[in-house]
Amino acid sequence: MIQLTSVTKLYGTVIGVNDMTLDLSAGAYGLLGPNGSGKTTLLSLLTGQLVPTIGRIRVLGESPRNNAELFRRLGYCPGSEGLYANVSAIEWVQYLCQLQGLNSSDARRAAEAALATVGMTAAMHRPIATYSRGMRQRVKLAQAIAHDPELLILDEPFNGLDPIGRREMGELLKNWIANGKNLLLASHLLYEVETITDRFLLINGGRLLASGTAAEVQALLVDAPNEITLRTTELHRLASLLVEREITDSLRIADHAVVLSTRHPGQLYEQLPQWLSESQIAVTEMHSADESLQALFNSLLKIHRGEVL
Amino acid sequence: MIARSVGAVFWFESRRALTASRIVWWVVLTLFPALIVGMIRIATSNIRNPPGPEPWSVFLFALVPMLVSMLGTFLWATPVVSAELEGKSWVYLAVRPHGTTVVLLGKYLATLAWVLSSAIASLMLAAALVPLDDVGHIVGTILRLTLLSCPAYAALYLLLGTLFPKRSMVVAVAYTLIFELVVSMIPALINTFTVQFRLRTLFYLWSDLPLGSDPNAMLAFVGEPPAWEHVVVLVTFTMVLLLAALGIVREREFSASEEGNG
Repeated sequence: MIQLTSVTKLYGTVIGVNDMTLDLSAGAYGLLGPNGSGKTTLLSLLTGQLVPTIGRIRVLGESPRNNAELFRRLGYCPGSEGLYANVSAIEWVQYLCQLQGLNSSDARRAAEAALATVGMTAAMHRPIATYSRGMRQRVKLAQAIAHDPELLILDEPFNGLDPIGRREMGELLKNWIANGKNLLLASHLLYEVETITDRFLLINGGRLLASGTAAEVQALLVDAPNEITLRTTELHRLASLLVEREITDSLRIADHAVVLSTRHPGQLYEQLPQWLSESQIAVTEMHSADESLQALFNSLLKIHRGEVL
Repeated sequence: MIARSVGAVFWFESRRALTASRIVWWVVLTLFPALIVGMIRIATSNIRNPPGPEPWSVFLFALVPMLVSMLGTFLWATPVVSAELEGKSWVYLAVRPHGTTVVLLGKYLATLAWVLSSAIASLMLAAALVPLDDVGHIVGTILRLTLLSCPAYAALYLLLGTLFPKRSMVVAVAYTLIFELVVSMIPALINTFTVQFRLRTLFYLWSDLPLGSDPNAMLAFVGEPPAWEHVVVLVTFTMVLLLAALGIVREREFSASEEGNG
């Protein structure tokens, strides 16, 4: 579906994408990365708006730059808004369908169907300026799916949606995937993506840090230290217990909590309840700082740099 | 298919332009020449030797193919790309088959439709106020010049807008002042590369205006016959500018980095 061969994109001396090579077969993928990690640059390269400084890109087997045939098979929903304020959703989506090559009546039908799919039928004749942010997000998605593309590329599609809207968007995308269509979904929030697909591309600083299923990415992290915080009233007894069990690489007491670092979080999570029960120690709170996406990227970055052996 | 898409852009842009501010601009541009002609007529109504056909021809030439065409196309064509980039709507158009090309052509046609309609209406209104028995010849000449000036200036401003999307209006004003108003009056080879020089020459040739007591001095500011040669140059100029704009918009990377936060 998508092939990148040693792709680098430079903006003057600033690196947007750094020596990226990947080969994605058909399917649905989440493109994950913190803000400023190069997601939008990568999507701009995939949609032919930018040309790689070095390397080669193929999308659905074709070069994306000025490729009319590819654009007929591609749906793109950018992260920016960019909707015309004084036209209605139906006019705008119909117009973009006409630019896909549909005649006026077919474009109208396609636009109506797409707006119905995203739940915008009732409001589609109103000027876009009167829409909420969530409604504009739905209209953006409608223009991307209206011409029934093979590959849908979405940049932060959940932005501005309320919880109900997020759930509906998630269901819509899951249906899209269930119908055998391809999807590349960029987001900086892991939980948004993992409800849609279990295959991820993780990028940071313009570099591809990891790709694969959640389990494959987790396997990469198996030897990376995981920081866990345990809150209890018996700080020193708990610290002593953990040292005795030889489960931690390091341990400190800070802010009325025991903060430990371990390379074996799975083993800790499995055995800790029993240890606490035997020692009669009550833990009121436990969380892992490494559950955040930034922490995940930090760990991957350390692996990438060879800091974790 | 490209023609159909160009038509779609033309209709969409023409409809989208039906806003109060655009309509006010159209009305102002249309009425301005008639207002000036009316004021000149009132000012000269009591003088012993009122203006003859030649001054009235010059007034209409300055007001319609120069002022209305130039100002109208400047306002319409210059921000074609920059408005889409600033509004972040460019990306939706750029990922369509031949998207950038059809958008530029469609917007060019919309520019011509709006500005030509204004220029022709303004010519008719202004000509109706000219106190001459045979104004038809003047109207015919000015109409032909308007039909040449609108496409040429629209192509010129479209090119400037694609070359300098971030400062398009400033660059277009500077270009107009420096090249179309100053350089076009320099009696040298360089003035032959301006739209203004060709239109001025055609105006003199088609209006049968006398070259005055010193024809050589006048010929430094206007070109020599035949007129068809200047028409061919002007049409070629228009085509080259339009093709250059299309080439630039197709090949140039309009940065999308500010469009997302990733």
